[in-house]
Amino acid sequence: MNQEVTLGGLTLKNPVLTASGTFGYGLEYDSFFDVAELGGICTKGLSLAPRHGNPPERICETPAGMLNAIGLANVGVEYFCEHKLPTLRERGVTVVANIFASSVEDFVKITERLERSPGVAAIELNVSCPNVSQGGIEFGRDPALCAQVTAACKAVTQLPIWVKMSPEAGDIVAVAKACEEAGADAVTAINTIRGMSIDPSTGRVRLANRTGGLSGPALRPIALRIVWDLVGALRIPVIGIGGVFSAEDALQFLLAGASAVQVGTASFSDPTAASKVRQGIAAYCAAHQLTVSELIGRGRPDSRR
Amino acid sequence: MSHPDLTPLAPRRQITANLARRDSMGPAYHVLTFDVPEGVDARPGQFTMVRGAEWGDAPLLPRPMSYLSGGRRPSILIKVVGDGTTRMARAVPGEPFHLLGPLGNTWPEVTEGKRPVLVAGGVGVAPLLYLARSLAPHGVRPIALYGGRSERDLPMHEELAEVCDLHVTTEDGSRGERGRVTQLLPDLLSGDVEVFTCGPDRMMAAVAALCAPREVRCIASLETPMACGYGVCLGCPVKRAEGGYLYACMDGPCIDAASIDWGDGAAAGGAA
Repeated sequence: MNQEVTLGGLTLKNPVLTASGTFGYGLEYDSFFDVAELGGICTKGLSLAPRHGNPPERICETPAGMLNAIGLANVGVEYFCEHKLPTLRERGVTVVANIFASSVEDFVKITERLERSPGVAAIELNVSCPNVSQGGIEFGRDPALCAQVTAACKAVTQLPIWVKMSPEAGDIVAVAKACEEAGADAVTAINTIRGMSIDPSTGRVRLANRTGGLSGPALRPIALRIVWDLVGALRIPVIGIGGVFSAEDALQFLLAGASAVQVGTASFSDPTAASKVRQGIAAYCAAHQLTVSELIGRGRPDSRR
Repeated sequence: MSHPDLTPLAPRRQITANLARRDSMGPAYHVLTFDVPEGVDARPGQFTMVRGAEWGDAPLLPRPMSYLSGGRRPSILIKVVGDGTTRMARAVPGEPFHLLGPLGNTWPEVTEGKRPVLVAGGVGVAPLLYLARSLAPHGVRPIALYGGRSERDLPMHEELAEVCDLHVTTEDGSRGERGRVTQLLPDLLSGDVEVFTCGPDRMMAAVAALCAPREVRCIASLETPMACGYGVCLGCPVKRAEGGYLYACMDGPCIDAASIDWGDGAAAGGAA
């Protein structure tokens, strides 16, 4: 059955992407499976200049999840375009460049750099990183700021713009609608939720950053609820993310109306997780004689097709 | 700064292997040996990410473990510290595990004419024992200093003694000399030796501090938490002497101690 999905003007060969920060720049997974088989990959968040990231400890495991406070360590957009993107393009990988900045001006500069780099299919704006002191989550909480960033980036590129939502926005539907009105082509929901862990044996907070973003299966029901709400409120597509470890998990998001899903922390548990999710969705579609686009939103009582 | 550069890629694979046997040395230390008919080209110093194939959502992440041996019977030495190692310590033969590897770099070649001095703390003995066993066929017999809190924290000391000239310390004096393993080191440091160390960060920081002023090369095998093992999660930074970070998984785990900022002994994460 046809696995293609359409997100605004962009058609993906299937609905499975990998989430930013959990898949490097794509080719790290080359020895495990052919990354080009996926609907796409979202790169590690790219900033204008390279970033060292936070001091250790940066990660710790929690019940059915993990906390991370990497601090957006990355090679920078210039290095990415020069040294990573050409190989991805040669391999036929659909690349979504996830970008991060602490000012609207820098978001625009990064977008401009990507706009003139062949091989980028879409840009995902990270306005919701919980682990940096400037430019992260405060953007994602403020509908006006999100709209401003979205509109400014849209103005300098033909590429589709996706906006990654913070679950900590007070009114996430309002933020998403503001992005939609500002021209966003899709929204991605959700980024991590801030959490903490303390080691009783040492009495110390486990992460140097004190808080970190919670990801993994623990997040899944919250993410699904938010995706459900956003699908009901928006006209643009929603990309579901949060604890997708298996095809069954991914199907929940698609049935809720997400047009695609992102596999994140699961890739750490099993580097072939995204490939297995893709295969599992295809098997489900074959068994139920449904295309993926027929599947999308089928779990909603209001849109049974 | 050093972001793991991923070209060329190491030939790493994830395989499912059954536990062949578990050899317990008291409640805390266990050797897990796996059946891998096709073999694993795992060299001394390299590590593998280990996760029970039937663990489900908890523990969620695989655990990084140095190889104790490679080939068709690859093995690891574990110390029970948390949920993952508790599960491993209860594993029974036939139980399936995902093994992702080989990962990271190897111990560097021992320089011609130098005698290796191995400094091990507790479970850190694993990659050093593998190194010593690989040197034995070449007629190289290292000096080994091995320390623990008590005699219960010296797993595999007999095996180490087979391939090294072994000196043991315990903090409670229950075996060998009372005190810390680093107290034996100054007398051994000369222009004729090279040091290879693996153990708690504080121990390795002390070893590095003894080697540096005497201009003795010291290679440390770092242990830090990590989620992936191949340069993606960026959860394993180690402070670099020149600023920025090295990553234990891709720049290591075997790193020249002089290139690390050991700080207060917590360069690789603080958990000593």
